[in-house]
Amino acid sequence: MLPDSVAIRKAAQEAAAELTRRPIKEGQRLVSSGLIDSLSVLRLIALLERKLQVTIPPETLQPEDFDDLDLIVATVKRVAKPAI
Amino acid sequence: MPFDSLAYLVLLAIVVVLHWALPVRFRRVFIFAASLAFYASWGLIFVWVPFVVAGVVYLIGKQIAGDPLRARRWLWLGISSLLALLVLFKYRMFLAGNLRALASTLGSTSWLGSIAFPIGISFYTFAAIGYLVDIRQGRVMPPKFVDLVLFFFFWPNILSGPIVRARELMPQLSFSKPFEAWYFFEGLDRLIWGLVQKVVIANVLGTWVDRGFAPGTAGRPSTIDGWFLAIAFGLQIYFDFAGYTNMAIGTARLLGVTLPENFRYPYHAATPPEFWARWHMTLSRWIRDYLFFPINAKWQGAPFPLYVSLIGVMALVGLWHGAGWNFILWGTLHGSYLVLYRIYESWGRKYSGVANWRIAMEGWRVLTLIAVACAWVVFRSNSLVKAGAILSAMFCRVGAGRAFGFGFYWFTLIAVLLCVVEPLLVRKFNEFDERAAENSPSPFRVVVRPLAYLLGLLLFLLFDQSNSQFIYSQF
Repeated sequence: MLPDSVAIRKAAQEAAAELTRRPIKEGQRLVSSGLIDSLSVLRLIALLERKLQVTIPPETLQPEDFDDLDLIVATVKRVAKPAI
Repeated sequence: MPFDSLAYLVLLAIVVVLHWALPVRFRRVFIFAASLAFYASWGLIFVWVPFVVAGVVYLIGKQIAGDPLRARRWLWLGISSLLALLVLFKYRMFLAGNLRALASTLGSTSWLGSIAFPIGISFYTFAAIGYLVDIRQGRVMPPKFVDLVLFFFFWPNILSGPIVRARELMPQLSFSKPFEAWYFFEGLDRLIWGLVQKVVIANVLGTWVDRGFAPGTAGRPSTIDGWFLAIAFGLQIYFDFAGYTNMAIGTARLLGVTLPENFRYPYHAATPPEFWARWHMTLSRWIRDYLFFPINAKWQGAPFPLYVSLIGVMALVGLWHGAGWNFILWGTLHGSYLVLYRIYESWGRKYSGVANWRIAMEGWRVLTLIAVACAWVVFRSNSLVKAGAILSAMFCRVGAGRAFGFGFYWFTLIAVLLCVVEPLLVRKFNEFDERAAENSPSPFRVVVRPLAYLLGLLLFLLFDQSNSQFIYSQF
């Protein structure tokens, strides 16, 4: 079963803060502001997979799908599958 | 018809007035006709090429959206067709020349040279590939054929970008927004600043740079000339391409359309990755979204595949710029800079104390500028021998003497200064503008701005060289 939006948002906020070493606010742009690059987005995906116990197939994604917390929640809900 | 010509400015003024005077339902047809005329002004013979590109991506896009089971195959067919067209027009001589060098049995390839080069093909081919991938990923729905044709032909960005995504430009091409005064002011700001960047700075530097990099120039330059040539070309290509981009963005803005930014003061970058986040941003974004990210997603960013892909992808970026080994080497050099920085970064994560030292950060800033300047020497040189001569003069064989008049050195230093203060000037200008918006009518908008436009146009008329060419229009 997939986690709910609140859990995804909490995991995304923690993962992004871990990568950037600074607290992440609501609505803060991550990729388009240059705070994280495309490589960090891959690390973010790996962190989200571990925290949420899901798999996120990145082939159909683009870095801007992870540009803020709302987008991350929407993207995870759209593509994530429960980890086997 | 180049953007930096009087004829273009006069025709643009007429097109903008007619565009806003027409009822909304006629604007699309009018802009399409203007775009077609603009593209045809570069040569009637290749007007069919963007139509073919639009036709191919229209048909394949519909298949991708309508046949999810075979979408992947259709996508690859579309990408292969577009790349085949690009290779046929742009890389045939390069490939044939290298194959002939490897195997003399290939026979005569002179017939290949009879096919010329449709201007802007590298830019709209990349936009087309991006469009197909976006359809595959469900980010855009296939539009009507006429919408797609207008997307590819839209003249402000057909020649040299910015490389736009269908989802950011196509919705704007309904031209349904009502006229607003800021379209006019912002459009003219960008257009005239772009003209000054191109005609007053890039073209003037170009005359010296052309002399310094000319293949026939005998001997090795002195150390000071080597450095000044590298810096002058770095500034020339920046002001040339940023000037073109400002004119493209300004032209689109006069029609009420917003194009994405392409430059954010690249020589203020503190690291090689930051340079690529500021230089030709729409190409970097394309490479990131459609090439680098999917490749590394498979490997989860593991170091070895990451480093190989960085060098490989940047070599392709070099090849995209032109069919020549100097461009491939230029891209490979930038790939190596990115790899070196990644290695440093992963080392820095272990020893964050050292990596956060101010001296380390400033060291990277200086190293980045030197590395970028060296790569520009390779990019600009017609042969590796010439590049080697300039680079060895810069680093290995210190020599005295000057081959240019004082004007070259002074002008290059002024251009460096302008590059340094450009962000400050733009910020101050925007602050004045915001303050002026609060008072109506404001002296800034009524007096200062028109005077600045007049000064820009006078400088353009004074420095205009009818035979100049935008560097990136050759790519």
